Amino acid sequence: MTASGKARSGRPARKRRDPLWLRVLPSLSVVLFIALWELAVKAGDVAPIILPAPSSIARYLVAMILDGSLPYNLAVTFVRIMAGFLVAGVLGVLVGVLMGMSKVLARVIDPWIAALYPLPKISLIPLLIIWLGTGEAYILTISAITAFFPVVISTYAGIRQTSQELVKAARDLGASTRQIQTNVVIPAAIPSIFAGLHLGMGVTIILVVAAEMIGGSNQSGMGYLLIRFGQVMETEKVFASLVALAVFGGVIMKGQQAIDRWVAPWAVGKS
Amino acid sequence: MDIIVENLVQVWDDGGAGVRALDGITHHFRSGTLTCLLGPSGCGKSTLAQIVGGIETATSGTIRIVDPKNPSAPPARPGQCSVMMWQSLNLFPWRNVIDNVTFGLEMAGVPKPERYARARELLASVGLRNFEEKACSQLSGGMRQRVALARALIMDRPILLMDEPFAALDAQTKIVMQEELTRIFERMRKTILFVTHAIDEAILLGDEVVVMTARPGRIKEVIRIDLPRPRTQEMVGTHEFGELYDRILHLIREEVLNAMRQQDEALA
Repeated sequence: MTASGKARSGRPARKRRDPLWLRVLPSLSVVLFIALWELAVKAGDVAPIILPAPSSIARYLVAMILDGSLPYNLAVTFVRIMAGFLVAGVLGVLVGVLMGMSKVLARVIDPWIAALYPLPKISLIPLLIIWLGTGEAYILTISAITAFFPVVISTYAGIRQTSQELVKAARDLGASTRQIQTNVVIPAAIPSIFAGLHLGMGVTIILVVAAEMIGGSNQSGMGYLLIRFGQVMETEKVFASLVALAVFGGVIMKGQQAIDRWVAPWAVGKS
Repeated sequence: MDIIVENLVQVWDDGGAGVRALDGITHHFRSGTLTCLLGPSGCGKSTLAQIVGGIETATSGTIRIVDPKNPSAPPARPGQCSVMMWQSLNLFPWRNVIDNVTFGLEMAGVPKPERYARARELLASVGLRNFEEKACSQLSGGMRQRVALARALIMDRPILLMDEPFAALDAQTKIVMQEELTRIFERMRKTILFVTHAIDEAILLGDEVVVMTARPGRIKEVIRIDLPRPRTQEMVGTHEFGELYDRILHLIREEVLNAMRQQDEALA
């Protein structure tokens, strides 16, 4: 009796908290991987040009932070990402909402999206370079075009999937069609708009860095940095830039999740 | 408000001959009474409530909503003087408790201080004082029911339509909510249409139980419930209650069997 009672009361506590070894396992695996890498490079006497040791990558990383090249180029890339994301986000949500509100508009725009969405946007780079050159306008355009599609598609889908029950309930409480659109349909679409914005952010990061690699007449940004170090085989700096870029991407994604939670806590984890 | 329904027919479009959900419903729901619509699943009882509420439009037939104290006034349009409490509650997840309750007033342009004051009073009367700022997802099932009830009551419309609002509750919470509704009804004397498939609930709450047939939904029998008010849960054990229960059970059993046979045929 007592034993089974104890077991029952003990279970929820264990469920809430994983054992210590399980909690440290993820970080431990990273540490272990880096240690093995370090050992392998040292023991195998691998040329740093092929695979530098983590310790030397770290030294370069610190040096690049201190000489300002990493902060500067990260900042430039960050501004470009935000610009592309902002344009795509605003236009995507706007067009998606309008399509959701107007059947005519949805009919007209739908085939365009269906035709252009599967096209790899990177393939537009040559054309955009002809039209816009390799400056900021080109980077903004290519990233915004790419991010626009997931945002508009998710927004439109979210609007169309609004629960008709909620719409009926709102109408029963005296809401006009217009009031239903702003007070029910749009808020109901927010989880799916957020999902679209996350996808949009992901592709914006990819496209900005790729555009910096290919065009980049401004000779700045993380993409430019990577390609330049690669060409002169400064492998340590390539790795250091990659580490910085990975952390940077993670921070942006976490930041976006934090904004989601702040703007609409009820929508988080729903889509 | 009296609700006079005549020869109501509802046919759902199924691409073919159509599915006859309601077939010639004629009934006079009396002002200030609580009528329970009882029937097997799919008998169209929810549809009937939605038609009375102007949420659905009937294929044919008429509904007249008239004020018995002022019979010469033009009849109201369905929906104008009723409000629905939904089976799935349909609370807006992006609004907190008080903003759910005040949704209708906000749409009608009632200023915020006024609608909040009314909501606070109403929320307190259904036992939700100090829950105004909570998200609906933080509330228990019974509390969400109270929010939905308050959201309907704040509209202050003479007809309240309730579509199996307590069906998803656990037995104890259901009893509490039934008592709550009984108290509210006995105080406010609104005209209530209460859709249910639970016989005991129908007897406990209703002045009248309209028993409906399996699809197509027709009125099989109307049973007056003369149990005294105020009603209490203790009445469930009385001899009178038992007799009513047996009588309705006998009526409904046939229809449930009919409905099951229909489902079997549809699957075959």
